[in-house]
Amino acid sequence: MTADKDGMRGICAGGSRDTSMISIRHLCKEYPGVTPLRDVSVEIKKGEVISIIGPSGTGKSTLLRCINLLETPTKGEITVGGVVTTDKKCKVNLVRRKMGMVFQSFNLFAHKTIIENIMMGQVDLLLRSRQEAYDRGMELLRTIGLADKALAYPDELSGGQKQRAAIARTVAMEPEIILFDEPTSALDPTMVGEVLSVIRGLAGQGMTMMIVTHEMKFARDVSTRIFYMDEGGIYEDGTPEQIFEHPKRERTRIFIRQLKVLHVENLTRGFDFPAFMTQLEEFGRKQQLSQRQIYTMQLAVEEALMLKLLPAAGEAGKMDISVDVEYSEREELVQMRFSYSGPSFHPFGSEEDLSGRMIKGISKKMEHKYADGVNHFVISI
Amino acid sequence: MVINMKITKTQNGNSLCLALEGRLDTNTAPELENAIKGSIDGVGELTIDMTALDYLSSAGLRVLLGTQKIMNKQGSMRVTHVNDTIMEIFEVTGFADILTIEKA
Ligand SMILES: Nc1ncnc2c1ncn2[C@@H]1O[C@H](COP(=O)(O)OP(=O)(O)OP(=O)(O)O)[C@@H](O)[C@H]1O
Ligand SMILES: [Mg+2]
Repeated sequence: MTADKDGMRGICAGGSRDTSMISIRHLCKEYPGVTPLRDVSVEIKKGEVISIIGPSGTGKSTLLRCINLLETPTKGEITVGGVVTTDKKCKVNLVRRKMGMVFQSFNLFAHKTIIENIMMGQVDLLLRSRQEAYDRGMELLRTIGLADKALAYPDELSGGQKQRAAIARTVAMEPEIILFDEPTSALDPTMVGEVLSVIRGLAGQGMTMMIVTHEMKFARDVSTRIFYMDEGGIYEDGTPEQIFEHPKRERTRIFIRQLKVLHVENLTRGFDFPAFMTQLEEFGRKQQLSQRQIYTMQLAVEEALMLKLLPAAGEAGKMDISVDVEYSEREELVQMRFSYSGPSFHPFGSEEDLSGRMIKGISKKMEHKYADGVNHFVISI
Repeated sequence: MVINMKITKTQNGNSLCLALEGRLDTNTAPELENAIKGSIDGVGELTIDMTALDYLSSAGLRVLLGTQKIMNKQGSMRVTHVNDTIMEIFEVTGFADILTIEKA
């Protein structure tokens, strides 16, 4: 087993899982006019993978920046590996070396090759020989499938490749914890997956991580713990199951519900069709739906709403049409619920209809119900 | 996301290729219909290249059907480079039996 441990050198170096790695006591960070962190107290243990989620401007980045000493807390105490970093006498560089940080943008040195980028810190700060640094760098590049790019310059890599290389460079420094601030939000959607899978790999190896992310499916799958941030602090702290399926507090519930649901009401003939298509695509991407599911949602809107419901509303007067799109991760099912008033009306009533045949053919189920003067037409995808 | 459609015409003798890029939907189908009407006279071989087409709805199917009917009288028509999702649309609507389709 010693051989195994050696192979993972630095990835799960020493200590048991229950060791507190970071301890935050009554942390407060004020900026002129805003106080993103009012009073945060929390304990982070070795081996935890914590995803930090929450609305914009709720202090997610500020929390990471305080931990990493890029910001000076206004009040409170932070201890990293037993060292009180908020103490003025603390040796900032030594503490910072225990922590890796990966940002949205790839911050690699443009005039150095990928392998040089990964070697630099190892040689300058960890005092490794160039050979050692090279070997470790190549080993990491191989595990993320970038060995053939070792001699390329950052500009010759795609966004996803650059971000993977930036992560490798951080890992090469043998940090005890890696802090990620939205590592995939600057990427083209097609490249998000490859970066997330590198982070997933690190989680599998026991790396302690805190990840600010908007990728909810990823957060759910990979994390051991979720911080939902709101109202000046960590508003709710729990397992992925608890936060995503049974949030206890009001604002968490609202946030989670919004993630899963897209609601559009007061649809009339003049609605902005291309904008709605884009909205569906963004919703689908956020939920990590397949391209086929996104296609089917868009087709349902075009065939059922544009071609059937809206023209019918035009003849019969106002129908108060609304659409709810809901994704159930557990059942891997998208449901599109069209609600409208007026007499009972099935959009694809006639069997011969081309639109009806399409939707019937590529969806899992179609259902029409009429009760109390309201139609509910549900397409399951 | 591309929300419109681009049509690239390539004429070679009496064969015409229309390469579609983007989305063929209710909003863009009339453009394709006009492009075909304007250039189909005397064409014996028509190719609709779907390499870069991401989306196809019933409005697009109707244009394809109308075009197939014209081409039945004056030559032949092929739809090429069809991706899996669009192929599924052709299959569930029975268009796979009406059109000559080549998958991507
Ligand atoms: N250097 C700064 N000076 C002044 N105000 C700041 C500074 N940095 C952040 N803020 C403010 O503090 C609040 C929290 O910012 P923070 O960047 O931590 O939010 P966030 O949760 O990371 O948001 P997002 O999801 O948009 O990245 C915001 O109101 C922001 O405008
Ligand atoms: Mg932020």
